[in-house]
Amino acid sequence: MSDFNRVMKLARRLTLERMFSTRMYIMLPVLLLFIPGMAWGFSDPNIVLPGGHQPESAMEVLFYASLGVVFGATMCAVLLSYDAVSRERASGVLELRLSQPMPRAHQSLAMILGSWKAILIPTWILLIISVFIVRYRMGEWISFADFLVYFSSTALILLWYILFTLLASSYTREQGTAISFGVGMWFLFTFLWALITTMVAFASGVSIGQENDASWIMLEGALDLLSPNGVYHHLLETRLPQIDRGIVAWQSWFMGLLWTVLPSWAFIRRMEKILP
Amino acid sequence: MEEVVLRLEGATYRHSVYAPLPLKPWRRIKGPGIFETNLTLQKGTILGLVGPNGAGKTTLLRVLAGILPVQHGRVYSGNEEVVLDRQQLRQSVGHMPEQVRWQGRKTVRQALLELGEMRHASEKRIDGILKLVGLSSRKDSALSELSQGMRQRLTLAVALLGSPKILLLDEPLNGLDPVGAAAFISLLKTLTEKGVSIVLSSHQVEGLAGIIDRLALMHRGHILAEGTLKEVAKGLHLDSKTEIKGTGQVPHFSNYEIQDEDVEIEIQDNHWTARLEQAQPHLLAKLINDGVEITEWGIRQPNVVEMLCAATGQSIEDVGLEVASNAYVPLRTFGGEEE
Repeated sequence: MSDFNRVMKLARRLTLERMFSTRMYIMLPVLLLFIPGMAWGFSDPNIVLPGGHQPESAMEVLFYASLGVVFGATMCAVLLSYDAVSRERASGVLELRLSQPMPRAHQSLAMILGSWKAILIPTWILLIISVFIVRYRMGEWISFADFLVYFSSTALILLWYILFTLLASSYTREQGTAISFGVGMWFLFTFLWALITTMVAFASGVSIGQENDASWIMLEGALDLLSPNGVYHHLLETRLPQIDRGIVAWQSWFMGLLWTVLPSWAFIRRMEKILP
Repeated sequence: MEEVVLRLEGATYRHSVYAPLPLKPWRRIKGPGIFETNLTLQKGTILGLVGPNGAGKTTLLRVLAGILPVQHGRVYSGNEEVVLDRQQLRQSVGHMPEQVRWQGRKTVRQALLELGEMRHASEKRIDGILKLVGLSSRKDSALSELSQGMRQRLTLAVALLGSPKILLLDEPLNGLDPVGAAAFISLLKTLTEKGVSIVLSSHQVEGLAGIIDRLALMHRGHILAEGTLKEVAKGLHLDSKTEIKGTGQVPHFSNYEIQDEDVEIEIQDNHWTARLEQAQPHLLAKLINDGVEITEWGIRQPNVVEMLCAATGQSIEDVGLEVASNAYVPLRTFGGEEE
């Protein structure tokens, strides 16, 4: 068996273990309400969004419904993986894993893939249901390119949250600390980022509160590249030509790449040096 | 000459410990660990690793298991001058850490299959190991349902996954019932007959002499003595003692040209036990002639605790339950001491 196959087989075992865990059963109704529920709500033909705006296309509806991913799926990613390393470390199972001949980098990769797929598979299934809901309510399919960007961006944001949480889990000896870090990070990027953006805008002399002010929009767009949620929305906006926040597609994808590579590298490096 | 399977030469690993300063709160220094350790593992033998708490036994086992890197020194394969890296070490070593707390809804078999994936162990092999460690009837039990003894057996099963040449066991008898412990020891004997070399770290030194072929005494990160029990005892100048048990009046040993300080007497009810520092070949005949009631007579080899006390310079009375401080200076110093 090749190293790749071995990593994939191990990842599959970890995925199944987490995907059918009690906590997944607890979180599934939340995901159901957030993802297909939002797709149902935003695809209402009579919906009027704040500012009197009405969604014009199926992709725009799914863009708004992506809030379900940002609020629900990312939190589930954190809750699924916060103890991936810390629990095994506390129980002594990590020492057994580290004594196996499989290289630690491969073990880490299997851990990342296993935890990632455990949240990705249910989320993708719910996104597919959302696409059908939008088609049913609006009579319109999203294009293949939209589909690719929507699903791959969602996969990426979940991967980023998994990576941050695994990294936290590998540094903490107590599971409580790991979950605090994960939830704190989720809170920062989901709720507090707007505050940080406002503070930077104020310090830069940009008029705050003027929603149509070009300099405010540009600054918010630039700062969003430093947040996983922001990059996720930038990636989705590459399929919405009516939105221009001063960031071109390659910049969004490049930042997406950085958000993927840097935490992955940090986690693998950490696991190579971790002590039981 | 015995076939050597592994050699450690000058192996050093020191744990990094926090030593914050007001202006350097992240400061770490090199702390306890193992220092310039030389150790030879022979094929098909059981080496007992004995030392007080904090002696470095677990650290040494982790270095041998390829979990911790060797910071100085080398690990050689057999008699050849082949230096092993950690990856190669892990290939040939099975490690059983102390007290793994298996938990969760996963079954025993699933847990083994998952770890077996890392060693290319087939399902047939896993089922065989489950039978070997006596867990085949519990293979579908959830990990949380296992007793401490069953958890120990499962950890041993993991250590045996890759048919290792060397087995490292850290406190393997913890939690096992007497019958389970006897079966465990019998399994170890079977493995050694198949050529597996075993390193066994245990605090339960009472029965250790009957299990091990060789003994290594550790203290403060150093191996102080290593060899067969006789070699270690001889190296520490510990002689065998004469142990006499009898009933009735305790004889006056001074009448038999034995100094009082050379005799240790314990009296319980009508029974007494005398331990004499040296072998006394004609004493038995003299005692019987004088009408002393002797119930048992034997030559007793020095036990592991006595050897450890002799090697470390500690005595049970002096040390009691006190754990050796971590803040010691290594017995030998070398370059790159701190930071």
